[in-house]
Amino acid sequence: MKKAIKNTTLADRALFLILLIISAAGFFYSGEALSLGSEVVVEVKGRPVYTLSLDVDMELEVEGSHGHGVVEIKKHKVRMKDAQCDNHICVRQGWISRGAIVCLPNDIVVIVEPGRKTDIDAITG
Amino acid sequence: MKYLSALFILLLLITSLSCGDRKRSVYRKTMPLMDTIVSISVVSGSKDEAERGMDKAFAAIDRFGTLINFFSEKSELSEINRNAGTRETRVSPETIDVIEMAVITAEKSGGAFDPSIGPVVKLWDFLKRKKPGGEEIRRVLPLIDFRNIVIDRQNSTVFLKNKGMLLDLGGIAKGYAADLAADTLIKSGIRDGLVSIAGDIRTFGVKPDNSPWTIGIKNPRQTGEKDEIIARIRLSGKAISTAGDYERFFIDDNRRYHHLLDPETGYPAGLCRSVSVIAGKAALTDAVSTAVFILGPEKGLKLAQDMGMDAIIIDSSGTIHSTPGIKDILSIEKGN
Amino acid sequence: MQLQDKYRIAVLSAYALALHGFEALLPSPIPWFRLGLANIITITSLTLFGFRTAMMITLVRVVLGSIFIGTFLGPSFMLSLGGGIAGTCAMGAVHSVSKTLFGPIGLSLIGALFHNTAQLFLAYLLFIRRIEAVLVISPVIMLIGIISGFANGVVADVLIKNILKNDPDSIQNVARA
Repeated sequence: MKKAIKNTTLADRALFLILLIISAAGFFYSGEALSLGSEVVVEVKGRPVYTLSLDVDMELEVEGSHGHGVVEIKKHKVRMKDAQCDNHICVRQGWISRGAIVCLPNDIVVIVEPGRKTDIDAITG
Repeated sequence: MKYLSALFILLLLITSLSCGDRKRSVYRKTMPLMDTIVSISVVSGSKDEAERGMDKAFAAIDRFGTLINFFSEKSELSEINRNAGTRETRVSPETIDVIEMAVITAEKSGGAFDPSIGPVVKLWDFLKRKKPGGEEIRRVLPLIDFRNIVIDRQNSTVFLKNKGMLLDLGGIAKGYAADLAADTLIKSGIRDGLVSIAGDIRTFGVKPDNSPWTIGIKNPRQTGEKDEIIARIRLSGKAISTAGDYERFFIDDNRRYHHLLDPETGYPAGLCRSVSVIAGKAALTDAVSTAVFILGPEKGLKLAQDMGMDAIIIDSSGTIHSTPGIKDILSIEKGN
Repeated sequence: MQLQDKYRIAVLSAYALALHGFEALLPSPIPWFRLGLANIITITSLTLFGFRTAMMITLVRVVLGSIFIGTFLGPSFMLSLGGGIAGTCAMGAVHSVSKTLFGPIGLSLIGALFHNTAQLFLAYLLFIRRIEAVLVISPVIMLIGIISGFANGVVADVLIKNILKNDPDSIQNVARA
């Protein structure tokens, strides 16, 4: 075994390294690809009001129970950009790509969920 | 031999690299427009082309949305309603178009779908659980008659004959907007795509793997909060809309009061839970799905067939009825 | 083709088949996971006896192997055949360009890479049809290919050295560098 490795040519080693780097890069990339399809569910008073894709950058005003909150999605992350409440805990939580942001005073919950594995392109109803 | 092999390897590398770029894929964008969520998917070989097309389509939806916004004072629709019983209102071609389609559907469905239902709709508030009294409803019912909508194509005007009449295009506008967006995309060179405005979906072309677009039909009585699919249907170049009693409703005294009101009685129609209609244009499927819902499974299926459309009806007992034409493209989920 | 060649192909094919069959018996943690043990024989024959012999052995191994396991002309046979031909061709091409540039380990890595690429491509054409799925699994398959390719290369290297040391006469029509 040792001898066999010692016998390798420069090209052998270079190839081995290059392949390793490519596959490592591939893992990184496929991780990105897998996160595609993650969904952001915005719930108000416990009812899902919006289901949005985490891949689509957008800003959305959500009417809460006391005031509104502004949900922003950018670069596969979501945050509560602004909210009409006094403590602003939700805004200070910043960007998330998993887990949830809760705005208690307004009863708004923003949840990031792994995308449902489905072959469905759109839903009617 | 050496050179040949080297050439072979080179060629292999080049083809494997160049294949990646020209791959056509699906680009998707979602925007909040027309008080709902609008999603557009397009198939394109270039991200720029896809983005350009989608931006144009969103702009078209937005423009149309402001024309027919029931709640905005400045919309053309509000102007028509304000001028009811007094004078004609000059409007844009799209507004004429959508009202004309609404009236045609009203005629064909014998008034089961009626765009002049506004006065009754105004009495109900499904968010605040407001149920109007019988007397209130009886008073406004005579105002509801699509035959009193006068469309003048030549002068591009619309006139409501009686004072107090209110046009409500909620049952057709989203479908029409989906058609408008699809036409805009096609004009900008995109051959395959899907436009979804709330439950109104218009498809054209196919997916990159040449398969049709798959649309899920929501279970009208899902227990969880996530969307459950009761059936899936494969469409290419067609539109589908669903009218359901679960979209806007409240339950009072064990009765479900929902937004699909029967123009005849002014009360919610109770024969179906959900109706999906398939045809070439989303404006038609939007309006006809409401009509079929009001008419119920028996008369509704007949209407759809008479109009050359397909329909899937889930009646008030949960039984699924469908026109025979769609057996090949429809699959009902097991366990539902 | 000399009698010597036929005999050699038969013996090496039998080894390759044995490894192929042995591998099919092993429980596989991932459906796609294959060690590609038979590639050891392909590399050895390529280095010692040339491309024609290596290709012959690959074809015999894939066809007979699938008949024995019962997958002849089925989808997994197609994958096996496509992968085997692509891997052997790639190794043969590289080997014919330069005999000294890559050793057995390098050859094995190239073989594994092309074997996997061809299989993924065929799998995409035949069943998966979802480019995302293929993209997601390719780094996994590639990494497995690197590890098993490396291990097979080491074994092939040892095997080649041993044959050259113990039985140099059996290598007749090889142009020694």
